[in-house]
Amino acid sequence: MNALLFLAPLTLAVVAGEIVFPGRNLYHYGWFNVLLAALIVTTILSARAPFRAARGARTRLGIAAIAFGAAIAGFAGVASGLLAPDSRTVVGAPGAKVRVDELGGTLSFPLTIAGANNGAAPDVVFTRSGRVTSIGASARNIGTFVLRQIPRDVVYVEAADAHGASLTVTQPNGATFLSPVLLMQQRQKIPETNLYLPFDAFAVPAAHRNVKAVLFTAQQAAMLHPTGGAQGQAVLFAVDDEDDRPLPNAIALAKDGEVVRLDGLRLRADLFSYPAIEFVAVPSLVAVALGALVVAGGFLLKSVRIAPAAEV
Amino acid sequence: MNRGLAWLLALAALAVAAIVLVPLFVAPSSRPAGPEGLVGEPAPAFALRDERGEPTSLERYRGKVVVMNLWASWCPPCRAEMPDLQRLSAAYATRGVAVVGVNEGESPQRALAFARSLGIAFPIWIDTQQQYGRVLAALGIPTTTIIDRHGIVASAFDGPLTFDEMQKAVAGPLSRL
Repeated sequence: MNALLFLAPLTLAVVAGEIVFPGRNLYHYGWFNVLLAALIVTTILSARAPFRAARGARTRLGIAAIAFGAAIAGFAGVASGLLAPDSRTVVGAPGAKVRVDELGGTLSFPLTIAGANNGAAPDVVFTRSGRVTSIGASARNIGTFVLRQIPRDVVYVEAADAHGASLTVTQPNGATFLSPVLLMQQRQKIPETNLYLPFDAFAVPAAHRNVKAVLFTAQQAAMLHPTGGAQGQAVLFAVDDEDDRPLPNAIALAKDGEVVRLDGLRLRADLFSYPAIEFVAVPSLVAVALGALVVAGGFLLKSVRIAPAAEV
Repeated sequence: MNRGLAWLLALAALAVAAIVLVPLFVAPSSRPAGPEGLVGEPAPAFALRDERGEPTSLERYRGKVVVMNLWASWCPPCRAEMPDLQRLSAAYATRGVAVVGVNEGESPQRALAFARSLGIAFPIWIDTQQQYGRVLAALGIPTTTIIDRHGIVASAFDGPLTFDEMQKAVAGPLSRL
């Protein structure tokens, strides 16, 4: 009996740990799940002797419930560890709705973007079977997954002609074609350095120009442009022609909010923080809660003693 | 273990297995990419300005079937499609169809000069921040969205449409109250 009273709560604790501390690679390792499965089997086996030795039906039911409840929770843990998809980060353009098949739902990314240095990132909304979950600063458990925001630096670009008349920005290779928000998902090595910096590209079709944008941290920007007085992050714009041939003297560093003039274009970069959503698999909350309840019920049944009927 | 308890545990185990395993095997969505993915959903309504600089929004068109066309002056297919949109606007205005051209990302002056050069009489909205392009997940330009009288996206098209295709697209929403 003592083994069961130790192993059942231990199984629950291990699986609860997967929910409280989600996203560890450990949970998907084969050996971890073999150990968890072994723990379940040992828990069930440890219930056999006390089950046989128990006298009353109530005690027997209690012992069976303790073992069964632990098995429920443990099974949820093993199923999540072996069958659930790996963690993934979903990056969406502002205003985009991204279907995530692993989650069986859609993530709606907000159109508004918060300033890099002011305000909290706006909520992303997850919709599944008509049920809406808002994912803000704190992580949200949606049953078998935990969703949480990962703030990322994005760049809102404005392009204008030499007279200041705004021009359409497109992203032929981006997640959203008609978006002026660069998600900076790629990384580019800067020649003669060990720096791999966030990089993106866009087109200004009316001017027949393609533009590369590389994001620098404040420190990197200061190193690159020591006399420029750069403070804070900056974006390096490089303007190419439509066939991606670099144009002479068409590279410039733009501070946050600064307009630079390159090859007849006025380009402005505004830096923002914008959420991506990371999802990590966790054991089914329903199954683990059910398992915990059954275990608790089992302990209760086992501990309750019926007072013997008074002798007459 | 008595037989009743064994059956109870077996049934409970099956139920738990279903609870745990079913969410892990979600069928992939057949939802199409691009603007077609919004069919059946409420059309997004942003506060924009029209060609005269007046505030405007889709809300003003509730009760009408709206043909919303995203365009830009640098886009040759947009230019080719514009006369048919104008024809549709003229032919269906009295039947409850409103055509709206939403210019994506360009200055009002450029958009207006382009529209005038083609004799466009339907409203031109200026979407400087390309909000509609983003939210409608336009795969290219032009992109046309048909919005029913209740503000729901009825259909959406990537690329230019012919006049016949436009007529077919509005016929369904027009026939529904």
